[in-house]
Amino acid sequence: MSPTLMANQNQGESAEYLNWLLLLLITFSLLSLSLLFKVASAVYIYKDPKMAAFLFSLDQFHSLEDMGTLKLIGAPQTQSSSSSSSSIDSNNHPSRTPPPPSSPSSRVCRNRTDLSTDLRLGLSISPSSQSESPFNPTPREESFDWPPIKSILRSTLVGKQSHMIQRPSLFVKVYMEGIPIGRKLNLLAHYSYDGLVKTLGHMFRTTILCPNSQPLNSGNFHVLTYEDREGDWMMVGDVPWEMFLNTVKRLKITRADRC
Amino acid sequence: MPRVAYSFPEEVLEHVFSFIECDRDRGSISLVCKSWYEIERWCRRRVFVGNCYAVSPATVVKRFPKVRSMAIKGKPHFADFNLVPEGWGAYVFPWIKAMAVAYPWLQEIRLKRMVVTDDCLELIAKSFKNFAVLVLTSCEGFTTDGLAAIAANCRNLRELELRESEVEDICGHWLSHFPDSYTSLVSLNISCLGNEVNLSALERLVSRCTNLKTLRLNRAVPLDKLANLLRGAPQLVELGTGTYTAEMRPEVLANLAEAFSGCKQLKSLSGFWDVLPSYLPAVYPVCSNLTSLNLSYATIQSSDLIKLVSQCESLRRLWVLDYIEDAGLEVIAASCKDLRELRVFPSDPFGLEANVALTEQGLVSVSEGCTKLQSVLYFCRQMSNAALNTIARNRPNMTRFRLCIIEPRAPDYLTHQPLDAGFGAIVEHCKDLRRLSLSGHLTDRVFEYIGTYGKKLEMLSVAFAGETDLGLHHVLSGCDNLRKLEIRDCPFGDKALLANAAKLETMRSLWMSSCLVSYGACKLLGLKLPRLNVEVIDERGPPDSRPDSTPVEKLYIYRTVSGPRLDMPCYVWRMEDDSALRIS
Repeated sequence: MSPTLMANQNQGESAEYLNWLLLLLITFSLLSLSLLFKVASAVYIYKDPKMAAFLFSLDQFHSLEDMGTLKLIGAPQTQSSSSSSSSIDSNNHPSRTPPPPSSPSSRVCRNRTDLSTDLRLGLSISPSSQSESPFNPTPREESFDWPPIKSILRSTLVGKQSHMIQRPSLFVKVYMEGIPIGRKLNLLAHYSYDGLVKTLGHMFRTTILCPNSQPLNSGNFHVLTYEDREGDWMMVGDVPWEMFLNTVKRLKITRADRC
Repeated sequence: MPRVAYSFPEEVLEHVFSFIECDRDRGSISLVCKSWYEIERWCRRRVFVGNCYAVSPATVVKRFPKVRSMAIKGKPHFADFNLVPEGWGAYVFPWIKAMAVAYPWLQEIRLKRMVVTDDCLELIAKSFKNFAVLVLTSCEGFTTDGLAAIAANCRNLRELELRESEVEDICGHWLSHFPDSYTSLVSLNISCLGNEVNLSALERLVSRCTNLKTLRLNRAVPLDKLANLLRGAPQLVELGTGTYTAEMRPEVLANLAEAFSGCKQLKSLSGFWDVLPSYLPAVYPVCSNLTSLNLSYATIQSSDLIKLVSQCESLRRLWVLDYIEDAGLEVIAASCKDLRELRVFPSDPFGLEANVALTEQGLVSVSEGCTKLQSVLYFCRQMSNAALNTIARNRPNMTRFRLCIIEPRAPDYLTHQPLDAGFGAIVEHCKDLRRLSLSGHLTDRVFEYIGTYGKKLEMLSVAFAGETDLGLHHVLSGCDNLRKLEIRDCPFGDKALLANAAKLETMRSLWMSSCLVSYGACKLLGLKLPRLNVEVIDERGPPDSRPDSTPVEKLYIYRTVSGPRLDMPCYVWRMEDDSALRIS
């Protein structure tokens, strides 16, 4: 090989080395920057507890959404539907102490009550104006003279908000094949089969097929059946919704290949 | 000069006048000449008093000695929205007392926003032997004991309507005071009563009154009793249900559906408290004949509402909650071609965000599809000038247009401009517009349009609008037929009011609250215009204790021929006129 070529090769190699060095330097600087940021934010969090709680609660809230309504999932995301109640009593929460700056590992091992504390803190960013909470658009202060509706309508609607909680209910038992412990479901909270199937799909973490859709081949799908007044087990979805409400006694989710 | 008036005997003129029912025409007749005035006043049978303080009972009784039917209105309209404090006035007792002496043959009394006590009801029951019609709209001050007196003594009672009144419900047995021999009831409206009435008494009453055409029950009447009541009165034309929910039982549904199909003349439905959608199919048999449907208390979802309303092809009047959503209004636009009046109420009036998919588009659809639409009351959360423009061009036959955008001062949500142009289009194109309510972000511009085009406007309601006195000036100087003006929370002050003081004598009343009218201006108005009562409502204490330039809380000005009223509460101050000062 000619010396110039070798020199060139050497140069190329060194250039390559330089490139690698540069890459390493950049990566290192990025890493150190992020570390610095984390440290800084930790310091910042320590300084501003409200911001900390807010940021922390953001994470918690996203995980809540993934969970579905009723089921309690294990350790790190332990929060039940008391999240709604925590928003209501967020302003009444006596302790507003900030969470101590802890290492990530200890955060995961935190128990349920600490999490609910953080949630409440997060939702109490501005205790004076509840309406600023981004997650719970609480209604404006009820003005007694605006909007211009008559008191009879006003009292009926306001009464309705509370009446909604006590509206007539039709709770039926729901069993999933293979699981001995059943659930209960309020059928009158739904207005059609679609809503019912969706809710059950969330509750039992499965896909429920409609009677006349896909071919019943896979064992991972389920169908919904119900026991009627006469004691017979029928496929859900054949009769009109109102008629279904009249005759259903209990529900069962069975595997698709069984039907 | 030929004495034309005497060429006809009085009886002939009387007979001719008897065909004139409209009050305004009657007033014109009485202005022709003295003898016509005399003849007319002796044969007037119906009197309407639009403001109970505009004239005294003695004056009315003296001028019209042979009245059979009285209608009186009391408090200002904004009293409906809690803007008039308790004890303000509008007591009907002086009227009943005067009429008890003067009109022994009185048959009908219709009152709106007045205070009616049990003493009044007992006096009515005792004094008028032929008493037939009692309609109390948005009244208060009486109890079921007073109703018992009416029931027991008025043998010829035909109509007893308590529309949205506040009644102290002591005992549901007042209904049993109707004697067993009593069968002349034609109309019964007890929808505002809070507690249960004696159901068996009600059933017996309904079944023996074969002329019963209107029955509006209260919320306490359970759904399973409705079928029996309907079977007892298959001739019903108007029905208001009680609570419309029960445990879901198929036999109750079937029973109810059968009872409804028996009522072949049913034209109007209301009630529907606590609706359970599964029971709605019971009314499907009567839907196609319905002309009026009031679902203001029916808190059910759009799909159920649509299923119901899409079957009502003859509907002329629809009152509904905003659960109907834009989709439902589109269905209405397609199915209810005869619709004349639409009211959409807010289901969540205090929520910050919309809970239903109801926007300006729903109203636009209805304005396109329902060619006879004349009267609109619409609560929504967003509006645009473009939509208002479209509505105005679609429906130039609109006579009553009331729009309430729930957030005060909300601008056009598309352009963020004020809604002046939109409302301007409404008044410009709807030449017969008689009633208008404004909302949203509005500048003085909109009042300029109203003053220019609103020539037939009789009633205007304004809230959170305007910028300067010029706005008020446009309205007062431009609207020739303005009778009632009510304003709240607008930056209108003294200048426009004082400049147009004379206009106030041509109007029934002016209400201004939370504006910038100073106490000094009120005093001036009271001084200079003796035929006006200028009343300052101020719960902060005597206005004298504050500088004259302080704005008053609330101001109510009305014309009157009977001088200042004497039953004012402690927080109402009247502005004395010159004559009062001179006499004292």
